[in-house]
Parts: sequence; structure tokens; C-alpha cells
Amino acid sequence: MKPPPSSAPMGTVGSAAAAALAALEAKHGRFVRRLRLGATLAAIAAFYAVCFSLAHVDPARLVTGLPKLAGWLVQAWPPRVDELPLIIQRTAETVAMAAVGTTAAALLALPAALFASRNLTPLPALYYPVRWFLNMLRGIDSFVFALLFVAAVGLGPFAGVLGIAFHTWGSAAKLFADHLENADLAAYDAVRTTGAGRFTSIAYAVLPDVLPVFASTALFWLEFNIRASTVLGVVGAGGIGQELKNSMDLLDFNRLFTIIAVILVVVTTLDQISGWLRRKLV
Amino acid sequence: MNLFTQPAPGRTAQRAPPLCVSGVDKRLHGVHVLRDVSLSVGSGEFVALLGASGAGKTTLLRCVAGLDSIDSGTIEVAGVPVAALRRRARRQVAVIFQRFNLVQRLSALDNVLAGRLGHVRTWRGITRRFERADRLLALESLERVGLLDYAVRRVDTLSGGQQQRVAIARALAQQPDLIVADEPVASLDPGSGGEILALLRRCCGEQGVAVLCSLHQVGWAQQFADRVVGLAQGATVIDVPASAFDDRHAQRLYARTAGKEPSTEQT
Repeated sequence: MKPPPSSAPMGTVGSAAAAALAALEAKHGRFVRRLRLGATLAAIAAFYAVCFSLAHVDPARLVTGLPKLAGWLVQAWPPRVDELPLIIQRTAETVAMAAVGTTAAALLALPAALFASRNLTPLPALYYPVRWFLNMLRGIDSFVFALLFVAAVGLGPFAGVLGIAFHTWGSAAKLFADHLENADLAAYDAVRTTGAGRFTSIAYAVLPDVLPVFASTALFWLEFNIRASTVLGVVGAGGIGQELKNSMDLLDFNRLFTIIAVILVVVTTLDQISGWLRRKLV
Repeated sequence: MNLFTQPAPGRTAQRAPPLCVSGVDKRLHGVHVLRDVSLSVGSGEFVALLGASGAGKTTLLRCVAGLDSIDSGTIEVAGVPVAALRRRARRQVAVIFQRFNLVQRLSALDNVLAGRLGHVRTWRGITRRFERADRLLALESLERVGLLDYAVRRVDTLSGGQQQRVAIARALAQQPDLIVADEPVASLDPGSGGEILALLRRCCGEQGVAVLCSLHQVGWAQQFADRVVGLAQGATVIDVPASAFDDRHAQRLYARTAGKEPSTEQT
């Protein structure tokens, strides 16, 4: 490469740099910069003004509502523990829904991720269709899926399992595929030259490297789904959410208090365990 | 029992050379990277491939290994065109890479066993459940490269030189006709580089495996190779016994084209 013709001799190196700085400063004057800042701030303010009105944000109602909430909290003491066995059973149901749904989703996500990763897919023609399909699954929340499945397979936790499985399938497969696309394929290329087939090579050279990340991703989704599935009962898809809704409908705040306490304890404990496992994996 | 000395069924003494390249041309992105390249490697022969950066060494090796296709000419491994070596037949050509290309989270033994994938049933490969004979062969390969004690160590805990030894063991376990090595010592320090080349030469000599190995260092080519093939601008310009390779040949390969890239290296 030839140096630019106008390159300065050693003694005057600083002056060219100073001129360059001056040129940069002259490019955007102070006035233009202030105008731009003002326009940006106005746009942000307008955006929030529209959002506040659309969301009916009304601080006055919060002010009148808060004492009501405080009153219920006072009424809720002491919590009702006579139904604790039922509440614990329903909570276990919720955790079971999340566990079965997430596991099914993770297993379905493995082959889906393979087809959705540009570098490894055996059928490049299916790359975009598979990605679209996964995006669609991801775009529909488990809550919405559960609503549909309650209508299809009836009330109960199985509808919740299906709801969780379908949404998590799309979400986990996308993350798996991103990991696969970032994987270093040097070892894969080498294993291909030993005469191994495509799937053998993936199982031998790629899976060992990505499996810990996959397991960590699956655990993350398990945590997320345990939290998410506490509300699935509201649409009739089983678990503790059902009891939560019943108590609220009957304004039975002592029972409600117990349920929320149990949910908090279980979710926090499982989050901790899962987080600890994930740290061990990666 | 030494599995290395067992002749594989169907292999006879009189057959085509392990590698025969003739009249190969290849263009890549409009650039003529290989021009009428011809060379051959005999059984048990160690051929060093020399040439300046961009001379086409890596492209030629990738074509020989079946990782790239050629536009015209022929590349035959033991008399069979490389393009016809599909799937399992690819095991006839083992490849050693500059960056080792091992599965980092697997043990040295599992990495060497990958060399058996072209020989064993698919389910055994996928589940990594190899037969005793394959495991013994893999351990023997590790013993040959001096890493038997490291068999169960994960390869990401090994040094660069040790990792390249594992890669050589993998190539040996593959029981190929030809080993293709693309700058196998370029990412190693000079000490382990020399050891690796000595090892490659010894192991392949013992098993009668042909080696085509690209190198940057003329000295090592003279020290370890039987023959030196030189590439310049995609064409074979030198093909001499290693003992006959001299400074004149080196000049021919590495002298910069006048006026193209003026530099102080031209002395």
C-alpha cells in the first residue's frame, strides 16, 4: 500500500490531526446538534403520551385502589392452612406440567434446530419454512396455546402441558439453532473426512460441544415455564392457577394469601436449584 | 496382536500409486488457482509441497481430500477418482489440519476413535460404542504418537503439539492409503513442529502410508521429505528428490515477482 501523497514529515505530524479534528467538529454545528436532540426528545415524549392514553393510565384510581388492597392484606391474616395439602398438590401439578412440557419441547427442538441452522441443515430448501414455523410457535404464548388446547382436549393440566410444549418448542429450537450456527465446524469437517456420514459427524463432532449449552437453555426454559404455568389454570388448563382464580372470585383472601406464599416458595427454590445446575454446566 | 501389520483384505502389492494428480485446473472466484498441476505420491513416500502464500497449496490439498472439486484433470487415490470416493470410501484419504480440528470436549481416545467412523456401523458411531478391536487400534495409534498416558484426557487440556499428535493418531486409526497434511506445524513452536514431522514420517513409513504435506519451511522439507514438489502461481514448477532441492529451487519458489510487491526481503 502506498502512503497518501500529502503525508506530513515527522516534525509536523500533530497539525494534520488537529485539522482533521476541526473538520469533524465543523461537520455538525452546535445548532444542528441541538435541533436533533430536541426533535428526539419530542418524539419520545409523544410516544409515551399516546401510550399513556391508550393504556388508560390513571394515578387517581391507583390512589383509591391501594387502600383497598391494603385492607384485603390485613383481612388475609392469618392465612388459611386447612387446604394446604390441596394447594401443594395443585402446585406440584403446575411444576409437573412445566417439566413434561419443557422436556417434550426440548426433544422436539433438537431436530427442528438442525433444519433451522444454515450451516448444518440437510435440506437447505426447508431452512426458511422451518424458521417461519418456529417463529410462529414462538410468537404464540403458552397461555394462548393453552386456551386453544382446553377447547380441543378439554379442561385439565394436559392442555397446559401442550400449551407449554408448543410455545417452548419454537423458542428453544430458535436458541438451539443459533448455538449450532455459531458452533465451530472445524472438528465436523475433520470427522467428515474419516468417511463418517452427516448425522454421525454431527453427533460425534458438534453435539459434544453444544450439549452443555443446550442443557442450560432447556433449564432456563424450565424455570421460565414453572413461573408461566402458575397462571395457566386461569384458562382452565390445570395447576395452581385454577385455585388462585377460585379464591379471587370468592374474595377468599386468607386462602389467596396461602396460595401466593406457596407459589413464591416453590418458584424461588426451583429457580435457585436450576440456576445452580446451569452454572455447573457452563 | 498388532493390527497395523495386518494386510486389509483385497489389498494387493501391485496397484495404482496412492495419489496420482494429472493436469488439474481450478478457478476460484475467477482466479486461476491451479494450472495443469501434476504430481504423484508413491506408497510410503513423504512428499513435501512448497510454495509461497497464495501459490495454491491449500486449494490443491483440499481438492485431494475431496473437500473441493476440480474443473478439469484427474485426481486418483489408489486408482480411483477422488470424486468417486463418496461416504465411507472417503476414509482412504486422511486429513491433518493446521488447527488440529479435534472435538474439544471429547477425550483423546474418543477423538482417535473418530478415525474408525468410516469402518464401523453407523449406530456405533453415533452412540460412541466401539468394538474392542477398534478401541485397541485407537489406543495403539495413541501409543505410536506417544500419548497413551493421555488417552482419557479431554483434548482441550492438551498442548498444541499434543493435540496435533492426537490428530495424527486419528489419521493413523483411519488406516488410509494417503495422509494429506495442510501446514500441520504452522501453529506450533519450532521444537514441537520438528517432532511432529519426525513422528508423521516415522509412523507413515512404518505403515507404508503415503504423505502429501504442505510446509512453509524449506529446511524441514529437506530434512523430512523424500521428494519436494513446488507450486508457483498455481503450477507445479519443481518436482525433485529432497536431496536435490537447493537454494536455486527455493529462489524460484519464493522470489517476489519484480515490481509487483517491492519489499526489503529481496536480497
